[in-house]
Amino acid sequence: MLSPFIDTLISLFIKFSALSFLAFGGVNALLPALYELSVTQGHWITAQTFADYFAIANAAPGPNFLTITLIGWHVGGILGALISTIAISWPSSVIIYFVQRHINNMQDLRKQKTIQYAAAGLAVGLVLASAWEIALHLDHNLSAYILTIGAIAITFFTRVHPLYLIGLGAILGSLGLV
Amino acid sequence: MVGEQTSSISIQTISQLKTLTPTELFIGFSKIGLSGFGGVLPWARRTLVEKEKWLSSEEFSAMLGICQLVPGPNIINLAVCVGSRYAGIRGALAAILGLILGPIAIVILLGLLYDHYSYMPMVQGMLRGVSAVGIGLVGSTGFKMMRTEFSYPPMLIVTLLTLIAALYFKQGLGWVVLITLPIALYLAWKKATRA
Repeated sequence: MLSPFIDTLISLFIKFSALSFLAFGGVNALLPALYELSVTQGHWITAQTFADYFAIANAAPGPNFLTITLIGWHVGGILGALISTIAISWPSSVIIYFVQRHINNMQDLRKQKTIQYAAAGLAVGLVLASAWEIALHLDHNLSAYILTIGAIAITFFTRVHPLYLIGLGAILGSLGLV
Repeated sequence: MVGEQTSSISIQTISQLKTLTPTELFIGFSKIGLSGFGGVLPWARRTLVEKEKWLSSEEFSAMLGICQLVPGPNIINLAVCVGSRYAGIRGALAAILGLILGPIAIVILLGLLYDHYSYMPMVQGMLRGVSAVGIGLVGSTGFKMMRTEFSYPPMLIVTLLTLIAALYFKQGLGWVVLITLPIALYLAWKKATRA
């Protein structure tokens, strides 16, 4: 018999690994599925904690899979953090390790381009859908939506560094305006 | 294991470049992981191409292109590509570990702080503000990616279809990919063979 703790860690590993195979567009595209798995289905964390972990991951330096690391940490401490991070990383690492040489040597450049364009096309839709879904989950009032839309507009039309916007969000939020 | 070793050796001979030890790769990717506020990829370019000069600008773009072909965190894929090119499987592992260990440690420390201070209304408000901006950053990444699709407008059908399917099937990411992939491949083939 496995303890419930080990059981949860194994379940977390399998589910995050499966997600990784579908992550066209990277972790950004996975946020709604991640929410569904860890909040709605698994009850590993509350909706509030999910939102806060997403915020912390954005404020911390490093790759954007840190939301996943934090969910794992909440479930199983440092071991959980490592397991969840490895789960999201290993499938694509193994694929790319074996595939990169094959793609590099691909004689037919059109095939290479075809895969590239198809993956990019999928990624755009998935990332936009992800932003939409996750906004519905995490933005709870009008001012949060305004901040989200403002951040989209500013980073799309200007070259302002995202870190300034995160700082601005933190200031507006701590003043009780969000 | 024997198979893995032979394949890593042949990758090394293909690259015909200067060699880097796993330790050097670990340190290089640690810098990338820890410096990347608001997205790591621009920092990866700065470090790999401009500072360390491990890759030329063209090599970097080509490698990133390949990394974006497969699903998963692109920056991890890039670590595997660069690491294995210079030092086989051990290089790939060293690059991944360098990339993730520092940020994991920092984010766990932040998680501990969160456990202690999340009762404070000011901290809660701060996190709400940051999270709203974070969602905006995801959204603008999507819109920036969409900009390149306008070079061949039919591909926008794939984008629209994926968007609708993703919103319709909510948690069924597998279904979304399954349904849209054939159409994506068809239009991508058209795009690749035009002219």
